Amino acid sequence: MKAVGATLPRYDGVAHITGRTRFVDDNNVPGQLYAKALRSPHHHARIVKVDTSRAESLAGVRAVITHRDVPKNVYGHLEDLGVPADEPLLAEQYARWKGQPIAAVAAEDLDTAIEALELIDVEYEELPALFDIRKALEPDAPEVHQWGPVYPHFGPHNHRRVRKGDVDWAFEKADTIVSGVYRPQAIEHVPMETQAALAIPEPDGRLTIYSCTQAMYFSLGVVASHLELPLNRIKFIGGTVGGGFGGKVDTASETISAVLALKAQRPVKWRWTREEEFLVSSTRAPWHIELEDAVTSDGWILGRRMVTLHDAGAYARFSPYGLTKHAFHHTGAYTIPNLKFDGFVVFTNRVPTTAMRGFGVTSVSMAVETHITRVAEVLGLDPWEIRLKNANRIGDTTGNLVAMQDPSTVPVTLATAEAVGKELASEYRAMTPERRTGDLLPEHLVAQQAPEGVHVIDRAGPVNASQSNGQSSNGGSH
Amino acid sequence: VELTINGTPRATASSPVTPLLTVLRQEWNITGPKPGCEQGGCGACTVLVDGEPRRSCLLAIGTLEDKDITTVEALGNPVKLAPVQKAFNDRYAAQCGYCTAGMLMAAQALIDRTDGRRGEGGREPVTREQVLEALSGHVCRCTGYVKIVEAVIAASTGEFDGAADPGDTEFAPDPTQPEAEIRGTPA
Repeated sequence: MKAVGATLPRYDGVAHITGRTRFVDDNNVPGQLYAKALRSPHHHARIVKVDTSRAESLAGVRAVITHRDVPKNVYGHLEDLGVPADEPLLAEQYARWKGQPIAAVAAEDLDTAIEALELIDVEYEELPALFDIRKALEPDAPEVHQWGPVYPHFGPHNHRRVRKGDVDWAFEKADTIVSGVYRPQAIEHVPMETQAALAIPEPDGRLTIYSCTQAMYFSLGVVASHLELPLNRIKFIGGTVGGGFGGKVDTASETISAVLALKAQRPVKWRWTREEEFLVSSTRAPWHIELEDAVTSDGWILGRRMVTLHDAGAYARFSPYGLTKHAFHHTGAYTIPNLKFDGFVVFTNRVPTTAMRGFGVTSVSMAVETHITRVAEVLGLDPWEIRLKNANRIGDTTGNLVAMQDPSTVPVTLATAEAVGKELASEYRAMTPERRTGDLLPEHLVAQQAPEGVHVIDRAGPVNASQSNGQSSNGGSH
Repeated sequence: VELTINGTPRATASSPVTPLLTVLRQEWNITGPKPGCEQGGCGACTVLVDGEPRRSCLLAIGTLEDKDITTVEALGNPVKLAPVQKAFNDRYAAQCGYCTAGMLMAAQALIDRTDGRRGEGGREPVTREQVLEALSGHVCRCTGYVKIVEAVIAASTGEFDGAADPGDTEFAPDPTQPEAEIRGTPA
């Protein structure tokens, strides 16, 4: 344990302060071409015709690609889990978001590449577009995705479900019901380094790719899948990420650069402009969260009903994963014994959304923390005390039946109170994360508790068969 | 166009409207200055022109005849760092590193500009307000700026003027730190 507690120099610190860290765009190789993408000017359109012949004959253009040039054009991040692929690398019959790439060009210099884009003829038939997730399920909503308005592959369901206890009992028993709607909006990551890749076809048929990805082996897999190449034909060089914050897990520039490089048999560099980064790189998802809590007048949360709509944009990407994390965290740092959660991944004609710093969790935390303060206001209680009272304790179970072993809600809340000078009554100051007993173990919290020493509850079975409201089940398999 | 880059006379045949940033990176392989927005908005491409911090993405090369350009490459090297570089390293002011070269050039210019006003008999550190003004056009998305501001102030005190270079980065436990307490039972 020599490293814990020690102040260590950064291993890459000297490279950063001398300007010697080599980010993707700092690498130049002989014969390098420059790439640009032709992007849909429409939010939603049928692509009637794409004619690249004039661009191909422009002097200095070395490769023009459309979906026909991609060995496996349609890809899905969750294919290994049995979810079908849904997102084309280059659009085929439909453009489903403004900025979706339709074709790409590699030329001797950037000006020629830009000029070539203007020579690609695309005929569009504009279609009505959908931007508001709340309207996606209306009968006359525009058709956005081949799977319908929502992602349908949560096991047997078309949404992520959490069921715990008996939520109807909680709402009958409640003194008050407090409801709220929360709508965290899309955020662009704005890394200082825009998306960039340099793909080099090697004479032995292999491919070297300089990448800004946050997930080297994941991005390697994405490129290999699109190219239908074994992993050992591709070498990724990375690790110098000029800011990512989640926005560089989507493998945004590597694959198109690679397809161009293989077609031209020349190295291809593609660095996005700041404008592209803002307009067409993925964002954090916008969300629509409706929740209601069944509460007692002395501040116990007996049950929660919650519906979440997660805006995936035009394709699924990682949204089902983000929503699943959201579902797991929908009780926040608090123990609620009776739950009904339904979360939908909704398709719109927006740029596909992705991970960003606490994927799926920041949205639910914002909603839950704002809501618990609202509950305290409605009940006329102290917002600190209601948090400490309902805080996770050892032996409490989460919505998906994980037993708490080392929950931090109580110590963190107490430390925060002290840091901001909040005076708490002695009974709250004395709280610990230990198992509930006495006044902190009212009857409605008994059934949800895991037996002493049990860390994982069998998902199939009830928490404790002898308890009347201890029935628990979870929907979905991934 | 003829100009001096990091002490070396250079000439370029690039079109006079080509941005200095492009000439530095593409023609001369000087890649310390970074393209962040190429619209003068982020500061990552900042270099010194006759000692003044300037956005190299907005400077047409044709306007720089006989100018003296300094980039991060001339500030110091791994075995001979400038005090401001040592301060950035010591205070963990660089995180992803992409904005760092531009920040360093603006910080160096501030320290150079204020040095003469410190008077005799000791150095007055630059003020927080001066640092915020000097770095106001520089965007960093990782750090939240706190450590960067601390580093610039520390560099201006002279604290790092005679400091040793970091050298070998193999770590040794800090004897001033208490032994770490191990909590919980490893699974």
